Amino acid sequence: MEMEMEMASPLVRLCLEQACKSGDAVERWRLQRRSLERLPPHLADALLRHLLRRRLLFPSLLEVFKHSVEKIDLRGESSINAEWMAYIGGFVNLLSLNLSDCQRINNSTLWPITGLTSLTELDLSRCSKVTDAGIKHLQSVANLEKLWISQTGVTEAGISLLASLKNLSLLDLGGLPVTDRNLTSLQGLTKLEYFDIWGSNVTNEGAVSILKFSNLSFLNLSWTSVTQAPDIPHLECLHMNKCALLSISETHCSALSSLKKLVLSGATFSAETEAFYFASKSSITYVDVSKTPIQNFSFLETMTKLEHLDLSSTAFGDDSVEFVACVGDTLRNLNVSDTKITSTGVEILSPHVPRLETLSLSQTFVDDLSILYISTMMPCLKDLDLSMTSIKGFIQKQSPQEEEAEPSLAALKSLTSLETLSLEHPYLSDTALSPLSSLTGLTHLSLKGPSLTDFTLHSLSSLPNIVSLGVRDAVLTNNGLEKFKPPLSLRTLDLKGCWLLTKDAIAGLCKRHPHVKVKHEFVQDSTSLDQNQLLPRSSPPQSFAKASRRKNNPRPETSAAISRSSIDQRVKYNREELVALQDSPLSRLLPREGEFVSVPEILADFDSVIHLT
Amino acid sequence: MRETVKLISMEGFEFVIDREAAMVSQTIRSMLTSPGGFSESKDGVVTFPDISTTILEKICQYFYWSLQYSRGKETEFQIEPELTLELMMAANYLHT
Repeated sequence: MEMEMEMASPLVRLCLEQACKSGDAVERWRLQRRSLERLPPHLADALLRHLLRRRLLFPSLLEVFKHSVEKIDLRGESSINAEWMAYIGGFVNLLSLNLSDCQRINNSTLWPITGLTSLTELDLSRCSKVTDAGIKHLQSVANLEKLWISQTGVTEAGISLLASLKNLSLLDLGGLPVTDRNLTSLQGLTKLEYFDIWGSNVTNEGAVSILKFSNLSFLNLSWTSVTQAPDIPHLECLHMNKCALLSISETHCSALSSLKKLVLSGATFSAETEAFYFASKSSITYVDVSKTPIQNFSFLETMTKLEHLDLSSTAFGDDSVEFVACVGDTLRNLNVSDTKITSTGVEILSPHVPRLETLSLSQTFVDDLSILYISTMMPCLKDLDLSMTSIKGFIQKQSPQEEEAEPSLAALKSLTSLETLSLEHPYLSDTALSPLSSLTGLTHLSLKGPSLTDFTLHSLSSLPNIVSLGVRDAVLTNNGLEKFKPPLSLRTLDLKGCWLLTKDAIAGLCKRHPHVKVKHEFVQDSTSLDQNQLLPRSSPPQSFAKASRRKNNPRPETSAAISRSSIDQRVKYNREELVALQDSPLSRLLPREGEFVSVPEILADFDSVIHLT
Repeated sequence: MRETVKLISMEGFEFVIDREAAMVSQTIRSMLTSPGGFSESKDGVVTFPDISTTILEKICQYFYWSLQYSRGKETEFQIEPELTLELMMAANYLHT
């Protein structure tokens, strides 16, 4: 979506901004009916999107777009109701309509869709009020090619009705109670290429029917009781997260030889199936076997085209590193977080993966030595996660005196492509992190630790390209925040868990730097909406929700997680420590100007936080 | 003498502007520079049967504004809301 805007010519962009500047501006062009009808679809779509983003769109304004617009994306808009839908029903040229997460959409508000004869794509994901009766309306949209109805209220009976939509090439039924009988009734959908039935009631018996979909290239059977992958000749992408892969049918002959992407996070295997799923998969480029009980990683030797490999939370360790080294220079992304790999493993691996762009070593035992190997041998690295490791920021020289310790993070400077760095790690100090301020190519940096102070925040303001900066759980002060000069490029500043900051200080920061989105417990924000807008259109949002839930995202972003972390903050320091903090070095790092927040004030604030929750 | 080009609107109004300014539009640029292709590249005259005089005038203003902007003079380019739709379509056609 944003990409399209980037590509639009600058004057088109200026016109869009001016047209959507205010409600008054809209009134001055909305009666130009002839011009509106002549608008090329991509401009009409862009104008509609701009109006929506500026909160200037209302049902009757939709009328002016009914001939020109081909694509409407209303995901997550809670205002969409029957009145909106009545106007949208008149969009004769509409090809694509996204109503995912529109909570007021129900069966009767869907009725106007029956008139959208051009419609080929419809996304109703997570519209929980849509049930079988709503599916009846869809039956008249005969041209429908792509349909997402995951996590709606549709049941077995409603799913059977979809059999009449013969043109479907994509069908997402994720989280619905799809049964074996349903699969039999849907066998006529021979154009199906993408079929998602995660979390359904489908069993091995029903999965046989999937074989009839001979054009299928994507299949998601995650969280089902299916124990064997159907042998579909052209299947390129198979998801069977959390499945127990225990048997192989005798009819299997092609052994999924076209497979390019295999996602089996959390799956379990028998010895026989483990060998089957991974043997001679030379065409495969993407493998996710995170959270599986796999012990033997020798299968990697044959996967010579592998680009993406996720081995996180497995038994992977230094003794298996040689197999990853065999994959060699095709590998772009490697996730070995929460494994037993140490710096020794990184040393063995680093000369063999020269084109690695993404590397996660979080929650491992790697220490500062690994930084040296990474920095010298992986020149293409763009994204590096070293959170929760044994990295201290210093490499001890022979002499045990502290003066002899060399800062290790300075070596990262040789990674000229590095854009994203994560060092969320409670034991890193300001001094250890000080070399980071010279990593001028960084666009995303996330730090987290109770020993970080204003010093770190201030030194990072020298990063000229930083877009997103996180300094979480740190002992930042109001005064320090006031003196912080964010780089011009900064868009997001995450200060969650910086408990010393007051509501006023946060509000002041937001006011001084309106372009920076500040994240903190004291900021009221509509993150859910923003997140929705960030989701790329091409992948159904459903898979995101699933990914974060299933893969046990290392950076939980649920509100529950946030509130938990703020509780941690409150119990972390007792009164005595708070008093002691008044004279801590952090307050001396800054020129004494103005007044510091006195301890009683901090305590008062601290108490009020406790009482609030 | 500075090289100029002539842009003619739907109603037949002629705008004579610097070639350099007209080159802000990718469409005009390719018309003027394509070797032996368009007659425009010889005569330096481009006719726009779909762009009204008001809009073409605004487009010419934008060309000059854009040149100045690229040279570091950061002013705002004013667009009356009434012109946004037609101007957007012209800008889209001209790739400017």
